[in-house]
Amino acid sequence: MVCRVMMHNSLYFRLAATNLRKNGRVYLPYLLTCVGMVAMYYIIYALALNQSLQSVYGGEQVSLLLSYGMWIMAVFSVIFLFYTHSFLIKRRKKEFGLYNILGMGKRHIAKMTAIETVYTSLISLVLGLVAGVVLSKLFYLLLLNIVQYGATNSQLMLQFEFSTTALYRTLLLFCGIFLLNYLNTIRMIHLSKPVELLKGGQVGEKEPKTKWLLAILGVICLGAGYYFAVTVESPLDALTLFIFAVLLVVIGTYCLFTAGSIAVLKLLRKNKRYYYQTRHFTSISGLLYRMKQNAVGLANICILSTAVLVLLSATVSLYMGGEDILRNRFPRNITVQLHGISEKDAPKIEQMLHAFVQRQQVSSGNTLHYSYLSFAAQQNGNVLQGELDAQVYYGAGMRSVYCIPLADYNAMRDTKQTLQPDEVLLYEIGSSIEGDTIVFGDRTYRIRERIKDMDLRSSSMDEMVGAYYLIVPDLQTIWEIYQAVGGEPNPLLSYFYGFDVDADADVQIRIMQGLQTLQAQQEWHGGVECAEEARDSMTALYGGMFFIGIFLGLLFILATVLIIYYKQVSEGYEDQSRFEIMQQVGMSLHEVKQSIHSQIMTVFFLPLLMACVHLAFAYPILNKCMAMINMTNSVLFIWCCVGVALLFALFYVLIYSLTARTYYKIVRQ
Amino acid sequence: MAVLEVVNLKKIYTTRLGGNHVQALSSVSFSVEQGEYVAIMGESGSGKTTLLNILAALDKPTSGEVFLNGRNIVSIKEREIAAFRREHLGFVFQDFNLLDTFSLQDNIFLPLVLSGKSYKEMNGRLQPIARKLEIEEILNKYPYEVSGGQKQRAAVARALITKPQLILADEPTGALDSRATDGLLRLFAQINRDGQTILMVTHSIKAASSAKRVLFIKDGEVFHQLYKGDDTDEQLYQKISDTLTMIATGGERGSGLPRDDA
Repeated sequence: MVCRVMMHNSLYFRLAATNLRKNGRVYLPYLLTCVGMVAMYYIIYALALNQSLQSVYGGEQVSLLLSYGMWIMAVFSVIFLFYTHSFLIKRRKKEFGLYNILGMGKRHIAKMTAIETVYTSLISLVLGLVAGVVLSKLFYLLLLNIVQYGATNSQLMLQFEFSTTALYRTLLLFCGIFLLNYLNTIRMIHLSKPVELLKGGQVGEKEPKTKWLLAILGVICLGAGYYFAVTVESPLDALTLFIFAVLLVVIGTYCLFTAGSIAVLKLLRKNKRYYYQTRHFTSISGLLYRMKQNAVGLANICILSTAVLVLLSATVSLYMGGEDILRNRFPRNITVQLHGISEKDAPKIEQMLHAFVQRQQVSSGNTLHYSYLSFAAQQNGNVLQGELDAQVYYGAGMRSVYCIPLADYNAMRDTKQTLQPDEVLLYEIGSSIEGDTIVFGDRTYRIRERIKDMDLRSSSMDEMVGAYYLIVPDLQTIWEIYQAVGGEPNPLLSYFYGFDVDADADVQIRIMQGLQTLQAQQEWHGGVECAEEARDSMTALYGGMFFIGIFLGLLFILATVLIIYYKQVSEGYEDQSRFEIMQQVGMSLHEVKQSIHSQIMTVFFLPLLMACVHLAFAYPILNKCMAMINMTNSVLFIWCCVGVALLFALFYVLIYSLTARTYYKIVRQ
Repeated sequence: MAVLEVVNLKKIYTTRLGGNHVQALSSVSFSVEQGEYVAIMGESGSGKTTLLNILAALDKPTSGEVFLNGRNIVSIKEREIAAFRREHLGFVFQDFNLLDTFSLQDNIFLPLVLSGKSYKEMNGRLQPIARKLEIEEILNKYPYEVSGGQKQRAAVARALITKPQLILADEPTGALDSRATDGLLRLFAQINRDGQTILMVTHSIKAASSAKRVLFIKDGEVFHQLYKGDDTDEQLYQKISDTLTMIATGGERGSGLPRDDA
């Protein structure tokens, strides 16, 4: 009796193992994905928890970013593995039906699949964690390299330890996912009837219905999303609109892939002269059915691809443009910005600063200094209304105005520009003034010239709300303007002094500290900043983002590959019989192959095409968002987008041609 | 003049590893005249399907020749075969082989579309055929929406629409109920009366008894043949049945078989 029970049980184990082997074509990719996801989750968790990383300056930011990435990964893993696993089970319905008819009860099938689940889970977890532990060191080094910690702190390279917490959490998450998948399997087996099970995938294929409403909704959503993305003006709006636009585009994409594609194909079919042509006839009707089954999967691929493209191009350009961002924020290596300075003090202060720098025994130069007066104003056409007490800048139409006397400007740019008393030069950031004049209260000034490019300090606030630099004939004009917008007469000015230093970061920071001491002694209001000091925290931030970009990009690509692969496999099984019939009816092997090839190409390259279109329309709004963090190098950003898109397309073609082989193998069986 | 002439057809299958040779056809010769309606009978494994595949140019014989209207189809180049098949041959299959993705009308149009005919011409050809086959009402339906008999009639329409020299039917009644079978056989007799040459492979005595001539294949050879002559379907049925019994019980060729009256 005991013997029989044992035999009985070992039968299940053998059955489960054979099943996995027999279904290797669909299970192997699933297992590989599970292994990959377990490994990646462990890695990102271990990195986020790493103590030595947190102890470094800026490291906390990186840790925080990593933990965000970890959450995204967790959510994504649950959804994605659930989706792929239910695909697997659907493929096996027929097999379950056969077992049922051969005399296995549903309970026995459930037991068998339980053992299968145990096998697959064990393989995924063991291999995944081993891979995770081994690779986490590599990713740690990569991260250090990207955020450039290694150079300053070589000890850090060695301090990466195995994390038990990460191990437990990974186990917990993925055991949960596998259990969920198993419960779903049981549900599917339980709900099914053996006869239906036997029929499996081939229940009478009905022609898809045209859902005009959904198709139109798709067009509207996509159009609106694109419209917002393209027309957004201020970076501040860009941030809030971005989420909204993304949502609209996602909805639009799903609607268009599911309903729009079918509507278009049906319209084409109604056109008899187009439809009844050898080239279009089989393709259109074939595509109709392909789209019916694959629309959601393809929309998923499209959204994931877009996510990869946006994520990578944004983070790559931020990382590569780091130097530009720094220079934007700090036009000179060391900058001094003082407030409440009278026009008489300015030369004196300049002398003192100059003398201090001379004493430092470093080569310095490229000095930039000017006095200015700044205030906030409300723009209404070409009229600027003063908002001198404004605490919050975030209202629509709010602008920063900077007035600089012509003499300082000429000195700064080494020019001999002249201006009539009511003339100004204008430099615009983030917004613009139309026409030839600019009005402050009761005063109107003619814009003599617009300055294309100016080497000034720009804060992210200016990029966000928009700012105007006015070069005015003299101090008198500054006071006029200030009074015209409701300010007190004879206000005190601000003073900017910046210079480049040819020295190491340590020396630069020492000079900065020296200047801070001087500032304190003289009781000047304002601040001294050094680009080098900000560099570390910035590389940490953008490097961290870049790392997460690569990491999530990798994850999404993995997911895309798997979806494409499964689509190819299921398409292959669907087409097997069609392939045969078409040949019998009088299509040559070559014609059949061509027809199917063109359909498959359309189906798989549509998402890529859409993703690229999405990226193109997202470019303006992304560019605005990037401007908020001082990333104003749009040329670099364009190249990053194009480069990432090309690289991704190359990768996509590679995946396609690899998986297409499986497809042809199945079809020719 | 013979529409189809089969001379000394031989087909040997070699198993994949090259070990065993299986002789599917040893030596088959017969011819089909214009306007004939011939049934080929034989048990499973007698080589019927192999023969049909070779006639349809879906498979090549090991040796021997097949002439369709005097043209040797064995020597047609691979590239031309598909066009040849759809222009000169019509097919009716046991499981209809209609494409799920097309309406019945589009299924019927398929070979014409492949030949690059205009919609107007196709529609012009379809109307009389559809009327004759009584499928006008269901032309816009899909294969999964109609009954087996209707599907088979659509398949017949697809075979007829190219005005083929020869219709090849492979167990056309195999998947039909008795009523639909009767209908289809009546239809075959009718289109044959209109001049269409038909070659049908079957092991249904009933189907075979609607033909004008019955060939029996056994062990890869033409074993015997019967002409209907003036017999009714029932009389032919009886003769076929006797012949099959004789074949099954191992009677010698020519001894005790029903006489060929024609």
